[in-house]
Amino acid sequence: MDAILEFIWLLIRIGLFTLLPLILMVAYYTYAERKVIGAMQSRIGPNRVGPLGLFQPFADVIKLLLKEIILPKEANRYLFLIAPILAIAPAFGVWAVVPVGDGLVWADLNAGVLYVLALSSMGVYGIILAGWASNSKYALLGAMRSAAQVVSYEIALGFSLLGVMILAGSLNLQAIVNAQSGGMLDWYWLPLLPMFLIFFISALAETNRAPFDMAEGESEIVAGFHVDYAGASFAVFFLAEYANMILMSALTAIFFFGGWLSPFEGWAFLGDSWLRDSSIFWFLAKLVFFMFNFLWIRATFPRYRYDQVMRLGWKVFIPITMVWMLVAALFVFNGIVVRGA
Amino acid sequence: MNKIIRYFKSLLMIELFQGLSVTIKHMFKPKVTVFYPEEKIPKSNRFRGIPALRRYTNGEERCIGCKLCEAVCPALAISIDSEMRSDGSRRTTLYEIDLFKCIFCGFCEESCPVDSIVLTDFADYHMEDPKESVLNKQQLLALGDRFEQSISKNRQQDAAYR
Amino acid sequence: MTIQEIFFYLFSIIMLAAATMVISVRNPVYAILYLILTFFSAAALWILLEAEFLGIILVLVYVGAVMVLFLFVVMMLNINQSRVSEGFVKNLPLGIGVALVMLAEVLMVLWYKNQTGVDNFPIPVPHEQGYSNTAEIGERMFTAYLWPFEIAGVVLLVAIVAAVALSMRHREGVKTQSVPQQISAEKRDRLELIDMPVEGVKKN
Repeated sequence: MDAILEFIWLLIRIGLFTLLPLILMVAYYTYAERKVIGAMQSRIGPNRVGPLGLFQPFADVIKLLLKEIILPKEANRYLFLIAPILAIAPAFGVWAVVPVGDGLVWADLNAGVLYVLALSSMGVYGIILAGWASNSKYALLGAMRSAAQVVSYEIALGFSLLGVMILAGSLNLQAIVNAQSGGMLDWYWLPLLPMFLIFFISALAETNRAPFDMAEGESEIVAGFHVDYAGASFAVFFLAEYANMILMSALTAIFFFGGWLSPFEGWAFLGDSWLRDSSIFWFLAKLVFFMFNFLWIRATFPRYRYDQVMRLGWKVFIPITMVWMLVAALFVFNGIVVRGA
Repeated sequence: MNKIIRYFKSLLMIELFQGLSVTIKHMFKPKVTVFYPEEKIPKSNRFRGIPALRRYTNGEERCIGCKLCEAVCPALAISIDSEMRSDGSRRTTLYEIDLFKCIFCGFCEESCPVDSIVLTDFADYHMEDPKESVLNKQQLLALGDRFEQSISKNRQQDAAYR
Repeated sequence: MTIQEIFFYLFSIIMLAAATMVISVRNPVYAILYLILTFFSAAALWILLEAEFLGIILVLVYVGAVMVLFLFVVMMLNINQSRVSEGFVKNLPLGIGVALVMLAEVLMVLWYKNQTGVDNFPIPVPHEQGYSNTAEIGERMFTAYLWPFEIAGVVLLVAIVAAVALSMRHREGVKTQSVPQQISAEKRDRLELIDMPVEGVKKN
């Protein structure tokens, strides 16, 4: 009985400290996206609902939830309804091993990096099944593109993490962060600069974001895999996409930018100010920075052509990661970077 | 050599960062959005908006039922019936414009010998029922009454160029 | 019954049911989805056994990559279901025969090793906190089993090369785009700016 109560208490805590903030972040991420991209295109963005349009996400959510869920006549109804859930579950599930602060993690898994990769590779099923179950050629084309793209970029993503693993000597996310301690220049973005760039670009491809949003490709296949979705089921896909972006930003911060560590850790001349203390604040600051980069990149670049996406993944990223893996190993071997753990 | 430079350029993503710098600069530039219902951009006096029928200053409708506008209308949006009125003048009994067909070309206005049918500079209208797209004579005359000031002002300003 | 046992039976039941569904459902897409569920449950069982590395790798490789490609192929092919089930009765005896042979082989090995009985499988001792399965496997792989590991790698490489060599065909007269040429295009290759006097406007 106690075990069950404890389990329920755990669920409540997970909901309160991870799911709720995450959903709120997603809500305001959509708002931020419209504001930021608007600003970059010399527009204003939403400003009607509430002061500065701050209640816009809630208006959107209410609108989406009140709309009818349309089931296409020839669609496979079970898979059609399961697909959005399959898309969102991994995006939330990975947060179990993501440390937001020192010790602030639900499961301190030893094989944390593998868990992250395994679960994030599950997200593609939501897209594929949505595309297939809709029984529409546009949706199927979107699903096909997405499947090939995500599987290809997963390799580049995993390979770019190999450098981190070599330098940190661990698969545990907390250990990886702790191995980077010592200030801004000790973080892994510096020794692994190409890896960091490849990781972030692959993250764009993994989350199907511009300039790699081939799965949606509104101008070619009208919205790709979710063309037949409406109302709440579309909202779940939407939520999944943004949750994935937040997740990838968090992972970039953890793997290459020292997670919750302060950038000024070793800078003695700053004195005892809060700037030198590592805290969840720094994690959030880095998270917001990378989330902003997602929007910035979307506002800047046009969509890649599909064959060039595949070319970039296989012929550019994977060779570079392979070479830099050796370089990282040499760094450790020659003691240029002190290996953690 | 050129090839090598280009290779390094693409590897260092210089052009991509150039693009990024353009967008971030624009983020802090003043915005050009017009707050539409509150703010409106000025319209030309030749603006062609919703059609209307005008009256003379004594309240007599101008239209004499010549059907030139009906004949010239490229979209066949105008339909007219006319009859003799009790005072012996020819007047329309039916004057309808379908706004869904109308392409706002202004040919009707050009063809009208008595300046009766005009295109006003009013374009912010809507209808709740597709059936309401057909404006009848009363509605057109009412529109003409409502916008008479702006119609005559625009015609006066443009008169020198005709 | 401890929580572990509850989980074990739960995952085992799900796994067995899903495995049965893989071979009994008609729709090949469903079959693949049930296969994914089977893999997932198997991974959960391995994690219960403290083999978290293997469990997660199973999900990562099979669920995350291999099954995606399977699904990809099945979605592209429009398999005619009636024709698939045509040969069922005809091939049934052969299938049963092969299954029996496989069962006999497993039983023979177990009998030979004198391990026919639940008691012969000892309950694994739980490791202490902080034991890293991944590090252990890595260490074994690169010390005691270095040669088999490297040879396996070479065999896989040969397989990749063979697959590429078999599927690569150079067809004559096919017009394709040259991507390097396309992306190396620059402004000055394609754009020429010409100074032209404006027509009809007097310059002052």
